Amino acid sequence: MSEATDSGADAEGTVGGANRETHTWQDSLLAVRNLDAGYGDLQILTDVDLDVRDGEYVTIVGPNGAGKSTVMKSVFGLTNRMAGTIEFNGEDITDTQPEEIIYEGLGYVPQNDNIFTTLSVQENLEMGAYILDEVPQDAIEDVYNRFPILRERQGQKAGTMSGGQRQMLAMGRALMLDPDLLLLDEPSAGLAPDLVDDMFDRIDGINDDGTAVLMVEQNAKEALGRCDRGYVLVDGKNRYEDTGDALLADDQVRQDFLGG
Amino acid sequence: MGVSDTYNRGRELFVEDPVRAVIVVVAVLLLLDFVRQLAVGATEFSEFGVMLKDGLMRGLFFGLAGIGLSMTYSILNFANFSHGDLITGGAFGGMIATYVIAGGFGSEGDIGALMLLGSGGSVFGSQLGIGVATSPAAVVAGVVIAGATAIALALVIDRLVYKPIRDRSGITLLITSIGVAFTLRYLILFVFDGSRRGVTQSGAVPTVGIPAIDGTVSLNLHEVSLVVVSVGLMAGLHFLLQRTKLGKAMRAMSDNEDLARITGIPTERIVTYTWIIGAGLAGVAGYMFVIWNGTLHWFQGWILLLPIFAAVILGGIGSIYGAILGGLVIGLTMSISIMWLPSGLTRAAAFFIMIVVLLVRPQGIFAGRATA
Repeated sequence: MSEATDSGADAEGTVGGANRETHTWQDSLLAVRNLDAGYGDLQILTDVDLDVRDGEYVTIVGPNGAGKSTVMKSVFGLTNRMAGTIEFNGEDITDTQPEEIIYEGLGYVPQNDNIFTTLSVQENLEMGAYILDEVPQDAIEDVYNRFPILRERQGQKAGTMSGGQRQMLAMGRALMLDPDLLLLDEPSAGLAPDLVDDMFDRIDGINDDGTAVLMVEQNAKEALGRCDRGYVLVDGKNRYEDTGDALLADDQVRQDFLGG
Repeated sequence: MGVSDTYNRGRELFVEDPVRAVIVVVAVLLLLDFVRQLAVGATEFSEFGVMLKDGLMRGLFFGLAGIGLSMTYSILNFANFSHGDLITGGAFGGMIATYVIAGGFGSEGDIGALMLLGSGGSVFGSQLGIGVATSPAAVVAGVVIAGATAIALALVIDRLVYKPIRDRSGITLLITSIGVAFTLRYLILFVFDGSRRGVTQSGAVPTVGIPAIDGTVSLNLHEVSLVVVSVGLMAGLHFLLQRTKLGKAMRAMSDNEDLARITGIPTERIVTYTWIIGAGLAGVAGYMFVIWNGTLHWFQGWILLLPIFAAVILGGIGSIYGAILGGLVIGLTMSISIMWLPSGLTRAAAFFIMIVVLLVRPQGIFAGRATA
């Protein structure tokens, strides 16, 4: 874990509990400001602020229907953004089309349908680098080294693989362009319990190699224990924000969201 | 023991899955009767050879023309009823080029009459000596122009009609496409008149006899051309889909459009290529059908659209390979069913086969909406 909590959070942290206020940083890689967003006319998010700094590992937790996934979809231009801004690397990407976002250095692994099931494993990875003129063999090699099972399965149709392997392929696809920030929507969903730890270890590995991670997780205890900072989202609004450890230690957060 | 086991298994099949059981019984009876007919000479081997050949020709055409229909379904998510009239449009466009070139650019008949394909009986294809052997350049140009005409029509129609309503439901698009189909068809009728014209010099097509056990099966150059062009284009498409970046992106988009977008695949450009490939193949298929068949008329594509739909649905709508296989099944059924049915019912037999296949395998032979 990096020391992302040295400046803002500690200085302004409330004594003996998680922050109720949201901080904004000047040096953010991803900066979501006052975001209102939803689907069609239905508004899900209200005035959401969120930051991810270079190399940071940030988690969003919260009850079902809190709008956690909607934050990610909004970053990728897949929702109706009603108000607020989204900046990445200092550039306003609020109105960028979904097919253009990838050029900015963002990778996204949606929760469901995150692989091309009728394409082979190798072809899925090639699609991850679609925007390049040539298929980057070294990037494919890197993904195979990170997830060796994918090398064994490279010719296989992706849809025939197990849940854990699919999740690895989806991450591999998103890593093909070596993004600055990787968005992961519930990477442990649907995995057998013994695979969940392994998946989190792999995400730690990706973060250790310098890629910032923004992750939505229902497995809140595990996720907060591993991340640098966490946001608790409730009813589409920011509720708490602090270091993962501080959120885990906070009585109120524990009682309301972590089951005691 | 063995007999009663078999008997029990048979009884279980009948109880659990009567539809499948009846199909199996009928198929076995037909097969036995097929052998009987050939054995007693009720159907000669050479007759059967001709049926097989005709079915194969028709099947290849259905398959080639069906590919575009399947592609528009999988990538644009709608059943395109104007596809048949793209076939007609392509055939007319290609045939204009053939008439003009075979007619010596006006030296053998008025250029206007040539461009209207002898509307009103002023020029006839047989006079111009149209055929693969007799006017090869005119036919090759015709193939290319047929594809180009259908592509141009599809792109213009997409820009004017389908693109503005891209986000609507499949039903809206389907009904719109029926409107487009009627518009195209009646425009063709208005310009070229409603006659059914012979376009080739049928007497001048080189033919060989292939010996069959009790006779010969004739095979002419136009049949061979249809096979060569269809199989060549199908192989080319297979290469495109499996080996090229564009093909893989098309498969990716048909698999999961949202994921394709966030991967950076430019979806509108893929849509354009879908029209180009689908309509191009439809136009060429239409032209080759006309060369094979020898006649051309304004609602040709429309009446062919139904068996093409049957082929595509039978194969698993959305699948390219399903369209090809479905085309062959429908084509062969139409020609071979004449061994048991009066000729007026062969078309019905083809649709009946489609229904039977869908009863057993509702998703079609190649399941799902995968272009792969």
